[in-house]
Amino acid sequence: MNVQTQPASHTADATTVEEGLAIQQAQSKFDSKAATDLAMQNTLLTPRFYTTDFEELDAIDVSPVRADWDKLMEQMRSDPNKGHFRKTEDWDAVDWENMDPELKAEALDFLISSCTAEFSGCVLYKEMKRRGTNEDIKELFSYMSRDEARHAGFINDALREAGVAVNLGFLTREKKYTYFRPKFIYYATYLSEKIGYARYITIYRHLEANPEHRFHPIFKWFREWCNDEFSHGEAFALLMRTDPKITQSFANRLWIRFFLTAVYSTMWVRDHARPKFHEALGVDIDWYDMEVFRKTSTIARQVFPIELDIDNPRFRSGCERMNRAAIAMDAAKARGGVGGLLGRIAAGANAAFAFANLYTIPVKKNDVPENVRLEPAF
Amino acid sequence: MGLLTRYTETAPCTVEVVHKFEELSAHVRLDNGATINPGDSVLVHGTPVMAPWGEAVSEQRMATITRASLIERLWTRLTGDMEFMELCEFSFSDETRATGTGGVAA
Repeated sequence: MNVQTQPASHTADATTVEEGLAIQQAQSKFDSKAATDLAMQNTLLTPRFYTTDFEELDAIDVSPVRADWDKLMEQMRSDPNKGHFRKTEDWDAVDWENMDPELKAEALDFLISSCTAEFSGCVLYKEMKRRGTNEDIKELFSYMSRDEARHAGFINDALREAGVAVNLGFLTREKKYTYFRPKFIYYATYLSEKIGYARYITIYRHLEANPEHRFHPIFKWFREWCNDEFSHGEAFALLMRTDPKITQSFANRLWIRFFLTAVYSTMWVRDHARPKFHEALGVDIDWYDMEVFRKTSTIARQVFPIELDIDNPRFRSGCERMNRAAIAMDAAKARGGVGGLLGRIAAGANAAFAFANLYTIPVKKNDVPENVRLEPAF
Repeated sequence: MGLLTRYTETAPCTVEVVHKFEELSAHVRLDNGATINPGDSVLVHGTPVMAPWGEAVSEQRMATITRASLIERLWTRLTGDMEFMELCEFSFSDETRATGTGGVAA
């Protein structure tokens, strides 16, 4: 239970929506004027919409992990990061005007993609909370939705500062709802949250040692931020442990292997397409990605019965091949015509071959520990 | 629900947008208890809803729900999983060269 003894003076301290609104009132007048005065670049947020098997989700019984579950819920209820997402004197000014245009484009791509990701998470989690009837599940999704909305707000503010205003036009566009089985949501969101943690903490630690490379103040907030990601991942780990079949059956082991391969190789390709961003951070992308895979693999031993062998030389060469295929695909699309079509077919075949090659690397077996819960330790 | 035919229905809905420092969120809630199934589409009527910076707005609107045909629903259930990468979050868009738009033209 949150008890506010002093009136909050910053919206990040607000316990209720009403309180947040009251604090905002004076500031908002100035802010909205400033926003309309600036020629803001408009960016359309495009969250994804999906449905799942809500009955199956409701049927989850957390009894097998009750003690760990209650502890995690208590931690999320206490909202340890409530006051963290605020601008303090540590928020240095960013010279967007004079930033190298390529770096600026990549940095904005980072902020917009991250904002969309948090925003999509918020939409998905809130929908799960709304459609569910299982009190444990509803409580979990309400906290995760709260955290994601808070992160999205924080990034949105950084975007406004960069002259980018979000456009919520998607709300009145036709939205088609696709479908994912609950276990796909567990695997994908568990991995996203844990990889998110590994990515943020690796950058945070790197910048702690090399502060001269911190070209934007948002990186200073990464540690507490990724602790939220970490606890969300913990919740999905517990959900997966409620039923051994979700991770242990033969077919599901193959799915997990598939997810790990797809997510790791996609991350490799996306990061390598952002050279200026990583150069500004002073981060070698090959090193960074391998480090993130290593941390994620270590963490995922808590729940996945298999682990990709990232030290197998085929892993690195497979990722590199995938990247070359992605670059070739892009070039072929730009070329167009018959040549472009042939190029696309060749690039697609190359990507499929690279994926098959990565997927067939023998995996390492892992006996999941009795005790699921982990604390952020990197 | 027809095997091959779609049909549409309208439902009142509430659009909630929070556009504040401590929260950015937007949700559409169907007020008549209608539920959305795989393959259905939802169109909220009217102009885009946007709260000014620092504010939260809640608007009552009408929405058109286009119900998927039985075949479409089954198809979406069977193939929806193939788009699973949408569930995974990476820090960057899929543009091979960043344009600074997050990969989406406004």
